[in-house]
Amino acid sequence: MRLKRLTTTGLVTTCAIGLALSGCSVKDPEAGGIGGGGGGARGIKTDVGVTADTITLGAMTDESGVFKVLGLGITQGNQMWAADVNKSGGICGRKIKIVPADTGYSAEKAVPLYNQLKGQALGLVQLIGSPILAALKKPMVNDKMAAIPSSWASTNLDVPNVVMVGPTYDVEMINGLSYLQSQGKIKNGDTIGHIYVDSEYGKNGLLGSKYYASKHKMNVVQAPVSSTASDLTSAVTKLKGAGAKAVLLTTTPAQTASAVGVAKAQGLTVPFYGSGPTYTPQLLDTPAGSALLSGQFLTDALMVPWNSTVPQAASIRSQWTKANPKGEPTFGPIQGYVFGLVWGQILLQACSDGDLTRAGVLKAVQKVSVDTRNLTASLDFTYPGQPSTRAQFLMKPARVPGGLDLVQPQAYVSQEALSYKTPFQK
Amino acid sequence: MSEAVEAPVVTARRDHETVRTAVKYALIVAAGIVVWLLPAYVKNEWLVVLMWIMTGAVGAMGLTMLVGQAGQLSLAHTFFLLVGGVAYAVFASKGTSEYIGFGLPTLLSAVLAVLVSAAAGALFAPISGRLRGIYLGVASLSLVFLGFWLANQLPSLAGSASSGRYAPSLNFFGFDFGVQTPSLYVLNVPMGQTERTFWLFAALTAIAYALGRGAMNGRVGRGWRAVRDNEAMAAVMGVSVVRQKAMAFAISSAYAGLAGVMTVWWYSGLMKPDEAVDHGTYSTTVAISFLAMCVIGGLGSLGGSVIGAALVFGLPLALPLIRSEDTVSAGGTAFTPVVITNLIYGALIVLIVIFQPRGLAGLWDRAIRLVRR
Amino acid sequence: MTTFVQAIVNGLGEGAVFALLALGFVIIYKATETVNFAHGSLALFGGYVIYRAKEHLPWFPSVVIGVVAAALLGLLIERLLLSRAKNATPDSLAILTIGVDIVILTEITRRLGTAAAPFLGDPYDSKPMHLFGATVSRTYVVALIVALLLIGLFFAAFRYTNWGLAMRAQAENREASALMGIRSWRVTASAWLVGGGLAGIAVIFLATNDIGGGSGLLASHTVAFAAFPAAVLGGLTSAEGAVVGGLLVGLTDSIASQYVDLNFASVAVYLVMLLVLVVRPAGLFGRVEQARV
Repeated sequence: MRLKRLTTTGLVTTCAIGLALSGCSVKDPEAGGIGGGGGGARGIKTDVGVTADTITLGAMTDESGVFKVLGLGITQGNQMWAADVNKSGGICGRKIKIVPADTGYSAEKAVPLYNQLKGQALGLVQLIGSPILAALKKPMVNDKMAAIPSSWASTNLDVPNVVMVGPTYDVEMINGLSYLQSQGKIKNGDTIGHIYVDSEYGKNGLLGSKYYASKHKMNVVQAPVSSTASDLTSAVTKLKGAGAKAVLLTTTPAQTASAVGVAKAQGLTVPFYGSGPTYTPQLLDTPAGSALLSGQFLTDALMVPWNSTVPQAASIRSQWTKANPKGEPTFGPIQGYVFGLVWGQILLQACSDGDLTRAGVLKAVQKVSVDTRNLTASLDFTYPGQPSTRAQFLMKPARVPGGLDLVQPQAYVSQEALSYKTPFQK
Repeated sequence: MSEAVEAPVVTARRDHETVRTAVKYALIVAAGIVVWLLPAYVKNEWLVVLMWIMTGAVGAMGLTMLVGQAGQLSLAHTFFLLVGGVAYAVFASKGTSEYIGFGLPTLLSAVLAVLVSAAAGALFAPISGRLRGIYLGVASLSLVFLGFWLANQLPSLAGSASSGRYAPSLNFFGFDFGVQTPSLYVLNVPMGQTERTFWLFAALTAIAYALGRGAMNGRVGRGWRAVRDNEAMAAVMGVSVVRQKAMAFAISSAYAGLAGVMTVWWYSGLMKPDEAVDHGTYSTTVAISFLAMCVIGGLGSLGGSVIGAALVFGLPLALPLIRSEDTVSAGGTAFTPVVITNLIYGALIVLIVIFQPRGLAGLWDRAIRLVRR
Repeated sequence: MTTFVQAIVNGLGEGAVFALLALGFVIIYKATETVNFAHGSLALFGGYVIYRAKEHLPWFPSVVIGVVAAALLGLLIERLLLSRAKNATPDSLAILTIGVDIVILTEITRRLGTAAAPFLGDPYDSKPMHLFGATVSRTYVVALIVALLLIGLFFAAFRYTNWGLAMRAQAENREASALMGIRSWRVTASAWLVGGGLAGIAVIFLATNDIGGGSGLLASHTVAFAAFPAAVLGGLTSAEGAVVGGLLVGLTDSIASQYVDLNFASVAVYLVMLLVLVVRPAGLFGRVEQARV
């Protein structure tokens, strides 16, 4: 018996060593990704995620966590864009393939998924969630991976890998205050309340409101909340007590419902202005719905609303409705499509530079300005560290598909927003 | 007469022991070789999953000693992870206008971080000594809430809750674990940051296991078990109950602190507190998960906590990697890999408690006994 | 002053809901020595059933169906799972309920999909009323009244019915009560039934814009977590303690969020609990175990 065990151990050891020495490793450092070699079609330089006939882009999305409403819509938009591109012959002679990866809004799950995607994809057409961007930012810089995040804190513009589409939170708040003042809702010297999630998102918005207040001798009363706090009664009571003439929100949609609903219950009738992520059409079915529809609440978005008359928006709408006859539309599909258009322009630039490597893509980003077929204001990525646009579409909640209507047809940009210096502006 | 009978028995036992030792060393060497070669064969995403399991295992080993051996229920484990991670970031990184940092050597910083966590655990002793069972469990949960709040109040130490702060990778006497342009090759595969960190984590897990085994089999472990089984009796027998309890908490927290440092390394040096108390790396949810690891593995079993970590920390990360390329459903009611993972994970916990109340370690022991018979 | 009145009313209303949850929690603990980590899921499940029923029925019958469903789920968990795990220690059973909690939470979140967050407080949610010169939300007042009525009913049942006698006997000494002819499984099962039902009632106040906030039903699982400190603070073996603990947690939360800040409020709850436990290690009304050698 003793002998048997010894033999077994010996066997195990021999096997392990034998396995190790039996020639070369099975692992390719960037397995699966290297296609087309150095040459590829038409002598274009490539590395990961590009073969002779396909360009693969990853989408780090959320299909099962707290942001699944957003994640699903954006991914659909990404895929619609890819389908449209492929129908018209692709980019650089290659088809676009999108590989979605569901993080469930968890940084732990995102890390292995990113490690898997980085062996397959040239870049990321979508990246949802600030905890996930935080966890991946350094690996992305190391891997020269470019990504379009679905978060807009200007404090993340310190690296060229973060390709931010649309105005940043600080700029949004500046424009919002400027609009309220232009409408005579607030005046110089007023007290403004700002309820914000105590995170990169909310703090970036606060940067904007403080800047505008400093230019107009306003006083900002701050009410920080944590991202999961859902009952904002105390925050609203505080701002009411401080005599706020307007309330800014950089919060989650659930918090918007709570704040606006509580304000109504407490008889606080001042205007509310929320950043883009504060609103989803689903809020109209909450008890705060009537208050939201009363015109007290305004918000904005980087792109036109769902029911827009812009032809490209109409085309997205009809495609989406055909695929999802019973679905409730959000702003996700149009946003995802815009993200795709930006990537398309970057890829075209990299292609004409003859360099479809990751490094080539990063260089191409800083050369492009993108015409998004009127879905957004024109986007300009040639100024590193600055938002790609400082204009936003002002919106009000409405009982229409998508839940939002334009306040005015053209994008709004204020003088203060143009003169504001973002943290990493050079 | 009696001598004549006894002699062969002794030789046999000695012989037996020699063989056992030989087998043990052979196995250790074999395991070492496997760990050395694994990064050359396994894709990075799987290495990352394995590393996360090892991080969980080190933390769970600390908790299983506290709960299973010393009989003190704790739901504060993630608090000590947070303390360890923050301490490492503060000691190891250079100070800036935004963050406090001392720029100490990384190895020293890691050791200091573990000591700071142990001290934090010992500081909790006056409270942990007074409470028992579930009362202690829920009381310790308050540390997680406190840690969340403090970390959000002190971004100059813990990093901002949304973008965090960065700490350097370990530099072990010139061997850089965070290297970006590796010059070391194993079987023609370059050993970069992920591969090297995998080795580091495997070594740390082995050390943590060996130290834990030593403590449990020695005087320390006997003291703990005496306190666990009957405090009054232990006191009568001359065991200092207060000291044993404090020491158990300190040692357990040291393990958690090490797991916290490993967490920072796993995130490529990022130290980031959570945005919410019940969602994220140091959340109440993970604190409860640590307890689940210990129970699944078998309370008090170090090997069991590794199995527990594989299930609780490994499964949710591994399953989404095995996915088919799907199109997205609009309703958001699809069984995504994340949903399936959570369902399997929850169901497994239920099944293990019903059918294997002593945890998977108990199953393992039974299997071994069957084979040996 | 009006702010103070508001904070007190909010705190009491919220606290009454926590008291309902904590009471169910304590009943389950007394009967089975099991810490029920799935308590939030019982509430969530009841709320989900109400939400679905409301699509076809008026509010009140839907609520009745949901409360019954939550009670039955409690019963099922006990009969199908806990009673099968005969060799498990109370600690392992607590872990088992974690598993149950994960399954229910995952499945209901999946089922809700991307639909709008459900709200269940139709008759009172987001409707202001005036009280002592302050404007307060009706939900808090209704919650306080309903909870006090139910708690009174429970204490009467606990004291004057056979079921109450059996419960008390089993909590006192399980073996002796079995010898006296009390059917242990019935007591245990009924405890889970009552605990589930109370959670089902609590959810109609949790899933409101006033207490749960804008996430409606989705937040109720998280908010229900406050039943933990409430039950422990009062003493896990004491029904009276659960009620006092619930109110104390509600008041602490409301006052701290009003006068310090929202982030500090949840920490404050736990700090108060810690303070109580340091002075009284088995909670305010809990039974202190005697050490015997």
